[in-house]
Amino acid sequence: MMFPAILSMTGLTHAMHSNFSLAPATLAKGGILDWFHKAWFRTDAATANGVSTDNIGMWLWWFCTLWFVFLMALMVVFVVRYRRRKGRIAPKSPSHNTPLEIAWTVIPTLFLVYIFFRGFWSYMEKLVAPGNAVEMSVLASKWNWSLTYPNGSESNATTVIGSRVIPVFYMPAERAIRVKMNSQDVMHAFFVPDFRVKADILPNRYTTVWFKALQPSSGKIHPRTQVDADSAHASATANGLTYGGPNYIKELEGVPYEDHWLFCAEYCGDEHSEMAAIIRVVPEDAYNRWLETIGTGSLSPKDLGKRMYETKGCITCHTIDGAPNTGPTWKNMFGHGVTFTDGSAYSEAQMSDPTFFQNYARESILVPQAKIVTGFGSQMSSYQGVLNDKMIDGVIAYIMSLSDKAPAAEAPEPAAPTGQPASPQVPAPTPAPASAPPSSAPH
Amino acid sequence: MSDHAHHHGSYLTLKGGFWTTVKDWATTVDHKKIGMMYLFAILFMFFIGGMAAMAVRFELFEPVRTHVDAAGTMHITGQAFAPADAGTDIKPGNNIYNRLFTLHGAIMVFMVIVPSIPASLGNFLLPLMLGAKDVAFPRLNLLSWYIYVTGSLFAITAIWLGGVDTGWTFYTPYSTTTDADYWRVALMVLGAFILGFSSILTGLNFVVTVHKLRAPGMGWFDMPLFVWSVYAAGIIQVLATPVIGITLLLLTFERVFRVGIFDPALGGDPVLFQHFFWFYSHPVVYVMILPGMGIISDVLAVQCHKKIFGYRAIAFASLGIAGVSFIVWGHHMFTSMSELADMVFSSLTFLVAIPTAVKVFNWIATLYKSSIALNAPMVYVLIFLFLFSIGGLTGLPLGTLSTDLHLHDTYFVVAHFHYVMMGGTIMGLMAGLHHWWPKFFGRMYNEKWAIIGAITVFIGFNLTFFTQFFLGSRGMPRRYASYIDEFQIWHQISTIGAFVIFLGFLIHLFVFIASLAYGRKAPANPWGGLTLEWVADSPPEEHNFAHEPLVTHGPYDFENTVPPHWDPADYPIPEENRTASRH
Repeated sequence: MMFPAILSMTGLTHAMHSNFSLAPATLAKGGILDWFHKAWFRTDAATANGVSTDNIGMWLWWFCTLWFVFLMALMVVFVVRYRRRKGRIAPKSPSHNTPLEIAWTVIPTLFLVYIFFRGFWSYMEKLVAPGNAVEMSVLASKWNWSLTYPNGSESNATTVIGSRVIPVFYMPAERAIRVKMNSQDVMHAFFVPDFRVKADILPNRYTTVWFKALQPSSGKIHPRTQVDADSAHASATANGLTYGGPNYIKELEGVPYEDHWLFCAEYCGDEHSEMAAIIRVVPEDAYNRWLETIGTGSLSPKDLGKRMYETKGCITCHTIDGAPNTGPTWKNMFGHGVTFTDGSAYSEAQMSDPTFFQNYARESILVPQAKIVTGFGSQMSSYQGVLNDKMIDGVIAYIMSLSDKAPAAEAPEPAAPTGQPASPQVPAPTPAPASAPPSSAPH
Repeated sequence: MSDHAHHHGSYLTLKGGFWTTVKDWATTVDHKKIGMMYLFAILFMFFIGGMAAMAVRFELFEPVRTHVDAAGTMHITGQAFAPADAGTDIKPGNNIYNRLFTLHGAIMVFMVIVPSIPASLGNFLLPLMLGAKDVAFPRLNLLSWYIYVTGSLFAITAIWLGGVDTGWTFYTPYSTTTDADYWRVALMVLGAFILGFSSILTGLNFVVTVHKLRAPGMGWFDMPLFVWSVYAAGIIQVLATPVIGITLLLLTFERVFRVGIFDPALGGDPVLFQHFFWFYSHPVVYVMILPGMGIISDVLAVQCHKKIFGYRAIAFASLGIAGVSFIVWGHHMFTSMSELADMVFSSLTFLVAIPTAVKVFNWIATLYKSSIALNAPMVYVLIFLFLFSIGGLTGLPLGTLSTDLHLHDTYFVVAHFHYVMMGGTIMGLMAGLHHWWPKFFGRMYNEKWAIIGAITVFIGFNLTFFTQFFLGSRGMPRRYASYIDEFQIWHQISTIGAFVIFLGFLIHLFVFIASLAYGRKAPANPWGGLTLEWVADSPPEEHNFAHEPLVTHGPYDFENTVPPHWDPADYPIPEENRTASRH
């Protein structure tokens, strides 16, 4: 099935992305087979149990190619040889041949039995997690991934690609990890192409995947912050998009790491294609040191709210700079009147009353369908059970801090008594698709 | 066309003025007219579904990029359907994209590919091939056309009211909760429900016709293979379609009356919906492909003047495929079922590969020592063999459990089913359309331009869909409005290919229009076929045959039978014979 044109196309793609450049060294390493493997799968499988998928995948690839070439060669030879020509009388030929017909039924059947068993064994390897696997919990929702580590801490790390904030899940290398998954709303699917695993995530029962990531081989060294050190990220860092205490950063500085995309593979609505996260594999000892430092206890309510904003999916639909998105912006929500699709409205005076506003915000977080702001749809899922009371308090405090009417005590910069908020200087980390400059795409 | 001089008058002869003609066609029970009405309705829906596909490819030409410039202003580029300025209320790009791919999938599956070959070519040809005057239930036949149009109108209304974003698979609980304030989803689902009845009635009609209306002397193994395949598809239509009808009704109940069946929030189970849905939608894949395979068998034999290799094997393979098709639905759900169910369905899935492979071997063996006329129908047969082989072989990594966990719900699946459904069914339809065009309309088409069109479609098709195998195995999920940059080159080639396909079909459109307007009059039997439709005139008279035909030879006995309307002196030197028959 492989045309020369396609071959050169893959070469082109390789050339375009330096990470996969067709360096002579690569060719020397694995030769032509390795080259085809890279063309087909993009990278080597990054897990031990993904390697068996690659092996059977490439075996099938060659099997299908040879069958196809054989059939098409016969077809072309026959068409050329037996095309209708003036004066040529078609010779007598058989239209039935029992031994031949039995042969071309039985031989493919034997191949198919072999393929089935190979696929099944490799599948069991990918499905049955070893008993000592570390369990992590994933909660999928429209449109966000959130992950809870074995010690009960929730993942709070993010990175910036383009202008998009994407959750980062740290995972230890060479350690079996079993991911227990559940959905908050509709169906999603957990898909990490580099790991060759996929499983649907259902709202009514748990599903699992497991994998054992290989040691990072990307050659990348973790920078001082979680965010990559290239220029786009540096500017995002300067704009205050990274945070966390000094320990939090220190634990990972200088360790090798490798990034892998986590995609949602089951269609889930408007922002389906933006529902991405990054799994960042680091050596196990670094992971363990880091894991001890990621509690949320020491954060102020506003900072906790900001962290929830960036890691719990709020950021996918709500901006903080006034730009509209799938949901209303959080900027200047507090202290400004609002109208709803059912015709009712809250006045500026009502919205300026902190207790009134806090109750409204709490209701909107827990029962999103109760009040729909004019101009928006009823897309949001309830955060009941996703955020605890302390987190909800934090989110509300963060929303209030984004208003030019923010109470003085809560104002982000008390030095600005006119009420000019500090946050508008922060460019909107508005959800846009997971389009990354090639240099920053995780591999 | 009405000037065809025959004392009985062809079925196309106008009965009077404009309104008389409209009334004549609107109330006709003639299977040929109903077949042609289906053909034009289906081609119209094919055009709409194709336009949606072009829009989808247009959006995917670029990944969406978001930049923040030095002044802190955000820019979104590459989102074809999004007004990027910040003045609008809701970011619409993904929303529009999701509606477009749903529109493309729902129209192409329910309104084009399922009815395409059986309802149009099948309706026209089945009675002719059997030597019958009409189908068994002519009025039911007209009713099924009206049901088809009604179902399509429901779907078009749903699109008109703003479209549906569920995907053509209507997976719950997304489909029971999205756009909660609107009736569009319910309308679209009801449209598919209504279309199901059209499919059941057509299938039932064909099954009965094959059983009861074969001409004297025609045993089961004297039937053309196209009839066998339409018969096998008819059985699936009758048995499987009620399941989707009930499922879609349950879905509507859940949406409208909040009865808990599939939505866990109401106490239901979403995987149950997938079982119900695929219990229909997998067998129906063979409703789509079997008649295409039938066309290939017939066109191949006639254009090669060669008895088809392994007639009985092909006939039984059709029935075998129809039977196995009912027990493989689970292979659409490897990522949401138990390990045991996965194992069982994977092993059963490989069973389908065997009769399919046997058919391909038989077709290629038929070419051996034959006399191959390289005209447009035959070029489409070769295109079918090329594309369908790729489609079939790429089914292997999807049926294999380990690799499917990687490839499921990626572009690999998209490429695979386009190679089978478009590369198989639509290419089969194009082969049949050219092969029987002279019979339908009594006019020849321009061979050279038809072949140019076919080759253009072939090139465009491979550009569009071969790239998608790479996208899929490299990790690009389906139904993504935007994607990471490294996939862009593949998407760009794919989009360029889509425009080439569009150009190819435009060429075909002009060839067909030119044929209707200026085409040379067709002889009754331009290719030298032996089956009964070639006994009838081109176009056939209203009651098909002047006298009830008697079957005295097999459908593909080219070695010892002179084709009807052919001069025995010219046979078996086909090229001279064809030249001689052109008046």
